[in-house]
Amino acid sequence: MAKRKLIADAVNGPKGKKVKKDIILQPVVSSDDPIPRQIKWTNKQRTLIFSSRGISYRTRHLMIDLRTLMPHSKPEPKMDRKDKLFIINEICEMKNCNKCLYFEGKKKQDVYLWASNVPKGPSVKFLVENIHTMSELKLTGNCLKGSRPLLSFDKAFSSEPHWQLLKELFVQIFGTPNHHPKSQPFTDHVFTFSIQDNRIWFRNYQILAEDGSLAEIGPRFVLNPIRIFAGSFGGATLYQNPNYISPNDFRRALRRQKADKYSHRVDTKISQQLRKPEFSYQMDPTDEVFNTISENDVKRK
Amino acid sequence: MKATRFVHERVNMDNDSNSEDEELQEALAAGIVKPGLIVEEQRKTFLNNKEGLKDKFKEFSLDSLKWIERLELTNDPAPTLGINETDGDKLQNDDFNRELTFYKQAQATVLEGLARLAKLSVPTKRPEDYFAEMAKSDDHMKKVRAKLLEKKTSLEKSEKAKKLREMKKYGKKAQQEVLQKRQKEKKEMLESVKKFRKGQIDKINLFDEPIERQPKQQQQLKGKQQFTPNKRREFKNKKFGFGGQKKRSKYNTADSAADLRDFSARKAHGKGPANKKFQGKSQGKRPGKSKRKVMKNKRK
Repeated sequence: MAKRKLIADAVNGPKGKKVKKDIILQPVVSSDDPIPRQIKWTNKQRTLIFSSRGISYRTRHLMIDLRTLMPHSKPEPKMDRKDKLFIINEICEMKNCNKCLYFEGKKKQDVYLWASNVPKGPSVKFLVENIHTMSELKLTGNCLKGSRPLLSFDKAFSSEPHWQLLKELFVQIFGTPNHHPKSQPFTDHVFTFSIQDNRIWFRNYQILAEDGSLAEIGPRFVLNPIRIFAGSFGGATLYQNPNYISPNDFRRALRRQKADKYSHRVDTKISQQLRKPEFSYQMDPTDEVFNTISENDVKRK
Repeated sequence: MKATRFVHERVNMDNDSNSEDEELQEALAAGIVKPGLIVEEQRKTFLNNKEGLKDKFKEFSLDSLKWIERLELTNDPAPTLGINETDGDKLQNDDFNRELTFYKQAQATVLEGLARLAKLSVPTKRPEDYFAEMAKSDDHMKKVRAKLLEKKTSLEKSEKAKKLREMKKYGKKAQQEVLQKRQKEKKEMLESVKKFRKGQIDKINLFDEPIERQPKQQQQLKGKQQFTPNKRREFKNKKFGFGGQKKRSKYNTADSAADLRDFSARKAHGKGPANKKFQGKSQGKRPGKSKRKVMKNKRK
């Protein structure tokens, strides 16, 4: 028993006087009596969520979904694309935010996401792929608006330094601070971050029952990291994804593949002709001398 | 081919620098490099400043906070039984199994996280009478439910239709069998009747009523009683009639009176025979009786 307590202490930090002040709620609270107000709100993270001009409707919906799910987020009008990105630091400062999610739309089809720790960094630029918003009807779950999510990470997040850094950034950005005034006092959904194919896959599940049955709430998206910068929206590059192919290059390759269809065919024809030998096998004509005809062969003829 | 490519390379090399070329020649002579394998490659260097990353991580991390502030957990997917595991490389294109691993990971987190929260006596379950704004509106959830219901009903419908189709298929077969059976029964019955008639069998079942052959003597008696005329009589009967009324049979009737086939105006007015054919050669000469009769018959 003592050992267990020790472990719990190690996990939760030493139990000092401050902990005793913390108001502990019963597992089941009836709504008749008012919920005691928490005074403690130590982890004051505020995330600014906004975008550039020229994002598609899908990205806009995703942004709105994130705002509804994160009570510690703040909105901001779309930023003009021509502005330099480091202005965002000032915007965050004005909005009293220390984290930022900035969606950048390019060519009306590619979506990039900046996740940054303002003002000291680091910041990460992602390519966002496979966006599904919360309004899709196949996602059947639902949760309280503003309840705190559990953050679930893949084991692979502790394998490499850049994944570790990303994990910490996600915890600070997506985690709703304890006792946030706008948050609800129950835990009824999970944010899942998994690494697959060098990308981060985001999922949001509702906890249906305590035994671990879940229903997906949405949104869904895949983040393909491009670069990690030391500063916020700039600074020295700490990491560059070698597996990243920009969507422009990808599309170009596809188009080229299409265009090269004819020339490929011609080339293969020529090379086939060149490779074809004149004789399949060189036989010695004198070998046939020893071919004797038996009686059966004659009969058959 | 290889040689030509090598020449190409050589030409390029000559343009670039002589020293490199010489090095290459030496390498070739030593057998380290083989002709045709020299391709200049543009290699991009990708930054991965691990020390810098670690420093940055230490600088901004909030590890010192209690777990309740962060609610973060790192889990492997929860183990499941019965589902075969697929390789990680394949997962990215296998929607179902990929989503399943995510789900299982979330499940593992939930199981561990809820236990931890319970230990800290943090409520996780929302009481029934606690109403608050939800992430998705009621309208939206109604739509979701409607969609689910629709999906369910459509699935049921299609299942039903499938069943019906199968039943129909089976029913057709059954009906065919019944028809064949009936036909067979009919054939058998007819055959047995035939045999019965011919006297090969003495007893048949007709419509569930057994019919037995009557004794032969009676039949013979019956045969004697029956009268059948001979051929000659039959013909005569046919020709002259047999039985029935003979009275008034030669009277004119409305039909016979209206029949003008035999009437000829020329003949009626005494101007020779009815047909012009006979006008020249046989004027005033009447053919014999039998001939006349034949002629009359022909005209009819």
